Amino acid sequence: MANSTAFRPAAPRVARSWPSRRDVLGGIGGAALALSAGPLRGRAARAAGKFDGRRVVFASWGGAYQDAERQSYCVPFAEKTGAAVEQDGPVEVAKFRTMAESGAPIWDVVDVTDAMLYDAGGAGLLEKIDRAAVDVSRVRPEFVDEFGIGNIVWSYNIGYSTKVYGPDNHPRSWADVFDVKRFPGKRMLSSGPSPNMEIALLADGVAPDKLYPLDVDRAFKKLDTIKNDLIFWTSNSQSQQLLTDGEVVCGNILNGRAYDAAKKGAKVAIEWNQNIQSVDYLVVPKGAKNADVAMGLIDEMTKAENQAKLANMIAYSPTNPAAFSAIHQDIAPWLCTNPNNADKGFVINAKYWRKILKPLTERFELWKLS
Amino acid sequence: MKKPRALTPWRALRLAVCGLVAAMMLAPLAIVLTLSFSAAPFLTFPPPGFSLQWYAKFFADPVWMATLRTSVMVMIPSSLCASALGTAAAIALSRVRFRGASLLIGLLMAPLVVPVIITAAAIFGAFRVWGLYGTVTGLILAHTVLTIPFVLSTTLASLRMVDRTLESAALTLGATPWRSFWRVIFPLILPGVLSGLLFALVISFDELTVSLFISTPTVRPITVQMWSDVRGSVDPTITAIATSLFLFTLVVMLAETLVSRRARGRRPPLAALGF
Amino acid sequence: MPRGRWFWLAAPALLLIGAVFLVPVGWLLLRSLSDPRWGLQNYAAVFAHPVYLRVFWNTIVIAGSVTALCLLIGYPVAYTMAHAGERGRRFLVFVILIPFWTSLLVRTYAWLVLLQQNGLVNRVLVDSGLVAAPLQLVYNRLGVLIGMVQVQLPFMVLPLYAVLSRIHPRYGQAAATLGAPPVAEFRRVYLPLSLPGVFTGCALVFITSLGYYITPALLGGRQDLMIAQLILIQIGDFGNWGLAAALAIILLFGAAVTLALFYRILAARQRPLR
Repeated sequence: MANSTAFRPAAPRVARSWPSRRDVLGGIGGAALALSAGPLRGRAARAAGKFDGRRVVFASWGGAYQDAERQSYCVPFAEKTGAAVEQDGPVEVAKFRTMAESGAPIWDVVDVTDAMLYDAGGAGLLEKIDRAAVDVSRVRPEFVDEFGIGNIVWSYNIGYSTKVYGPDNHPRSWADVFDVKRFPGKRMLSSGPSPNMEIALLADGVAPDKLYPLDVDRAFKKLDTIKNDLIFWTSNSQSQQLLTDGEVVCGNILNGRAYDAAKKGAKVAIEWNQNIQSVDYLVVPKGAKNADVAMGLIDEMTKAENQAKLANMIAYSPTNPAAFSAIHQDIAPWLCTNPNNADKGFVINAKYWRKILKPLTERFELWKLS
Repeated sequence: MKKPRALTPWRALRLAVCGLVAAMMLAPLAIVLTLSFSAAPFLTFPPPGFSLQWYAKFFADPVWMATLRTSVMVMIPSSLCASALGTAAAIALSRVRFRGASLLIGLLMAPLVVPVIITAAAIFGAFRVWGLYGTVTGLILAHTVLTIPFVLSTTLASLRMVDRTLESAALTLGATPWRSFWRVIFPLILPGVLSGLLFALVISFDELTVSLFISTPTVRPITVQMWSDVRGSVDPTITAIATSLFLFTLVVMLAETLVSRRARGRRPPLAALGF
Repeated sequence: MPRGRWFWLAAPALLLIGAVFLVPVGWLLLRSLSDPRWGLQNYAAVFAHPVYLRVFWNTIVIAGSVTALCLLIGYPVAYTMAHAGERGRRFLVFVILIPFWTSLLVRTYAWLVLLQQNGLVNRVLVDSGLVAAPLQLVYNRLGVLIGMVQVQLPFMVLPLYAVLSRIHPRYGQAAATLGAPPVAEFRRVYLPLSLPGVFTGCALVFITSLGYYITPALLGGRQDLMIAQLILIQIGDFGNWGLAAALAIILLFGAAVTLALFYRILAARQRPLR
């Protein structure tokens, strides 16, 4: 169950569709390769490697995403330090937890969702990030946690069809998306409660910094107003398809998916105002055998040139703002941590969602049914 | 040639329904076949132009090829196992008469009847504990269990058609039971066994739900890759794959027809599924 | 050779089904009672929130509708197959078996291409002036039913056909020469004879429909959630094996009860005919 992502408020239904980590992240076809390449070994000839003869196990979500991580992070790290980086995965909540609880994890560095970070970090299952080994100043402060360093960011955006709307008259806020008089037609949202609660509250006039704790009743009341104009997507490709084919005129779409559609020539654009961001973190499970090498690998991952390489390969936003100097012109405008876009949005409160996701999922499904 | 029949209301209704069903069954297939040659990067219909790019993409992409290889590596052993086990069980169960026999048939048919999500969740849970999760062996075992019902039913149907007096005759002529079975009965049920095998091949190749649960990115059959591709971004590559798959099964079906024609002049129509 | 010895030929298949099917299902049952601790709390959770019963009801309604539709269109098709000429039969067999030969996933996407607002069907309807505005044919119950009926039809038609083709040819001939079986005769003779096929087909279609999730997820609207989707959410999003297992076991129980019910009716019906 590759990418079943338990506790993952940020990537609602997307995640429940099993192997679709890549979905969320907006991948580009392809999988399986990441793991087939054996452990990377640094150039044996170079004797001066800091971690010569050491190994480190890197676990991620497989597919094109992990392959990009391997090429952007692991290869340079192996070449510089002489350490052998082994790829493993897919990350699976239950497996990760069991492993961490055992106290003898196989994985040294794990790519986790924000919810998994807070869950495991809170339970004392993660090593603290060694700030002597990892230069956390490279990364925007909102993506630095005691137990993990943000690796990539994606965002939920207001997407719209450029067949229907021009640059001057498109929906510019979630309130516009909820305004069926000014913007008639069907609109789409993702099919889980998150981030629909935030979206509804923003549409109802709540300021982004006043969202939490979520006024769930108010959100449902707002959602009621457009209930019959909504189509809920259960996968990212569906959100692409709905917008591309004109089944909906606007609605929630991930930045990476909108980029992918537009790149292929679809009449799709996104509004950056009120974008809602979600983060993937790199963590080290408690008791990891190669924790020192792991910290070195995480440090390598925070470097601008490596993050830029990943963004160019797979269009996820870097957490290191300096990366933008090396990101292609045609990709940069689609990334949510781009300085032009980042401040128009906010990072979803995954800590808060962790507590309410289960009951709210039940309520949200019931709301949809009735 | 018979004289044309009158168009009574009942006949008209039947023809209308058959026409509707034919349209309903064929329309998606026609769409898939057409879109596989589309020049557009989306599933737009009608396609703006002709192109073979999706076939090229499919056959050139190492990931698609790797998952295709996995599918074949699972499909062949599992359908052979299912055929052997299913045929043996069918023979046994057609010969023993005791109260539990139909219960045992029900048990062997269960993977077909039980909603597949249950099977998938159950096998996933057990395989994780047994270390079979994400292995080719695990996929082979699961697909074998899922395809045994098809082999069992086709073979049982064939066995029902076989005249048992033939075997008795062979026995009275002094052949051993084993020999009389192999020389007399087995050739007669061979078409049923073969159509079971072919069903098993196709079902295994197209199986998604259970594979989705028990495969990992390293060991991933092509259907799971298609599913994850569809979840990510849709382009007509999946229609090219589906078309290739369809052509493959068409060839298999033709082969089956030829084999069964050679093996027997007339065989019960639709022994295929043994109903 | 004593009859009993043949039985051992069935042993390998039974062992395998036992190990790879029965034991895992048993394990699932155990899990529903023991995860995260022993007790009935997972079953209590199913009944504690109305969403689960709603979705079970939804699942039954959808599976029931699919079964009814399959029977409604499958019966005439099976009848035609059973009493048609060789060529007609071959064509119908080919058509009915198509779902086995094409990927479920890709076909579902083909339905989207056909049925959406700007899809082929709507364009034909609008261009021909039959409707003024495009119809909502997908992302609702209708879409789910169309998609599921197409996949499930073989499981209705094949058992029906098997029974109908065994009904004495005289009826078939009578039907053919008369053009239609007189309604009374159909009701009194043909229909009762075909009932075993009807029951088998309905049982098979209904029970397998209970476990669907790809089709409702892609073709359905907000009200078309089925229980398999909830099971996936529980395992995939929450890693909540206990609740997922409880939902699956309740579904399995429902399927078993349905099957038993169908067989009971079938057995009761067959007795007087013997």
